[in-house]
Amino acid sequence: MSATMTPAETPHTDLSATSDLGRFLVRRPAALIGLTLLVLQILAIIFAPVLSTHDPMQANALRSLQPPSWENWLGTDVSGMDIYSRIIYATRINLLISVTAVGAAFIVGVPIGLLVGYYRGWASNLTMRVFDFVQSFPVFVMGMALVSVMGQEIWNVAIALGVLFTPVFARLIRAETLSLRERSFIAAAKCSGATDIKILFRHILPNALSPAIVQISISIGMAILLTAGLSFIGAGVRMPTPEWGLMVSTGSQQMILGIWWVSFFPGLAIILSVLSFALIADAARDFIDPRRAR
Amino acid sequence: MGFSMTISDTWHRLPRPVRIVLARLPLLVPQMLGVIFVTFILVRLLPGDPVLLMLGNMATEESIATLREQLGLDGSIWSQFLVYFQNLIQGDLGVSMFTSNPVIKDLLERAPATLELITYAMILTLLIAVPTAIYATVRPKSIVDRASRVYGLAAGSLPDFWVALLLIFIFFTTFGIAVAPFGRIDPMLSAPEFVTGFYTLDALLAGDLQAFLSAGSRLLLPVITLAIVNSGALMKMTSSAFGEIWHSDFIQHQRASGVPERKIIRAALRNSLPPLITLTGFLFGFLLGAAVLVETIFSWGGLGQYAVMAVINSDYPALQGFVLVAAAFILIVYLIVDVLYEIVDPRIEV
Repeated sequence: MSATMTPAETPHTDLSATSDLGRFLVRRPAALIGLTLLVLQILAIIFAPVLSTHDPMQANALRSLQPPSWENWLGTDVSGMDIYSRIIYATRINLLISVTAVGAAFIVGVPIGLLVGYYRGWASNLTMRVFDFVQSFPVFVMGMALVSVMGQEIWNVAIALGVLFTPVFARLIRAETLSLRERSFIAAAKCSGATDIKILFRHILPNALSPAIVQISISIGMAILLTAGLSFIGAGVRMPTPEWGLMVSTGSQQMILGIWWVSFFPGLAIILSVLSFALIADAARDFIDPRRAR
Repeated sequence: MGFSMTISDTWHRLPRPVRIVLARLPLLVPQMLGVIFVTFILVRLLPGDPVLLMLGNMATEESIATLREQLGLDGSIWSQFLVYFQNLIQGDLGVSMFTSNPVIKDLLERAPATLELITYAMILTLLIAVPTAIYATVRPKSIVDRASRVYGLAAGSLPDFWVALLLIFIFFTTFGIAVAPFGRIDPMLSAPEFVTGFYTLDALLAGDLQAFLSAGSRLLLPVITLAIVNSGALMKMTSSAFGEIWHSDFIQHQRASGVPERKIIRAALRNSLPPLITLTGFLFGFLLGAAVLVETIFSWGGLGQYAVMAVINSDYPALQGFVLVAAAFILIVYLIVDVLYEIVDPRIEV
């Protein structure tokens, strides 16, 4: 990875990929914010037991709906569970679902995109029409239907989102493959007797990946929003599992009564998390294609 | 030969918009069949037996067999699909397990509420996003340009259900300037007589100012929620569509020839209409999904809230009906989008 980012004819010896990235980040405060937020989330995932102040699933009827205080930094919800600790632990669930879903979509979508872009014919056309079709449904409606039919479990949310995101990656890779397959270096590889498999995975794939890599970050953000939305309407993760959308949902009845902290802070966590992936995607796009930055 | 000549003659004598519609319409048939098939397999083929899920712990051998027969679930998958399809053609989407009404009746009753909500939301979203995007493109590095960039990034990160709750907290609970976030109209008022199904329009048609004001004020918060969340993405996409035209050779040429800026903007706008129409179509589909969450919060009583109840109660006929209607609706929107696209772009041969 780092080797490909350093031009071979670099004039200065100290110009490694990391310092390239460092300089890029200094010029782009937005990217730095995104990266910082991501690091914070990773820390929350690893050190959740240390960072939290309470057991995230411990109900306490005596401390129901307490406002933020020294004892409960971000207050408590209706069953007296500590909101701050739940937000910290929820990072695990939310990112686990989103990263799994997007990872699966990437792993399945990329080979499909390669094949569909490289081999033309009725099978490729049919696949693309099916994808067009899947993508024409509103994502949230489709996700809702899939999850409620498969059963409302964490893994089913991830599977449903994975299915919905697969066409996105396949489409991006296909578009790149379509133009790459006409390039002369592919013809050269063919003439030197490379097999189709080798051409696809050794020559086309590395050159076709950039947009899909940017899309990973965008999709993770979308997956976080969709997971939260699904849990919010009761078609996803269930109580007492700490999950951001579910937490917003448990406070939604109280919001109108002026008890704002139950829904407010988990919502803020969703925003910061999604924002971090959006900022990283935006920066990654400019880093990969510097022409766009101007 | 002569026959095909007359056909092509008549074809070319038809007005262009009619030709566009006629050429595009046949595509709808396979698409609709696809939608019907997908909604069918959605419930039948995925893991989890719908009959067991519906009956839950109360299932006995006998009740399972009865419900299976009732739903047409006995027999092969193809005969099941045929039964489903035949019923569908007759407008029978099954009976909701929760409301005990025919699903089609439930859906038709609730559709206008959702359509009114997303129509106003779309108008507001377009009014915010398009002028801002155009101004930002024409005046790069201006405050509007910078602000719209930040907004475009940030708005995409906002969960709509959270924004809705926050708006309720600020404008209803804290400042008391918004009306109660329950339903489409003050429960003390009777809904205006049904003409279009849009309460605002029907109230105006009936000359009932009070009902109009009530319906309008209840629309305010949900519409603003949807617009805040969705205008960011539309802004980004509009600036890239408009920007492409704005930096194109013919606009540069107009500028070099000293054409006044107003006129140039109008020409660029006219040329970015086709992509804008496509974006608006996507937006409609997106709003339909977003309405599910927002309707639930505002007890809107539309399709979205119905779908959520269906999910919570494992009401499969209702859920299947909703997905089918939502998909059919999207297909029709895309059809309209395609037709408008070809109408505004005279270069397309029909």
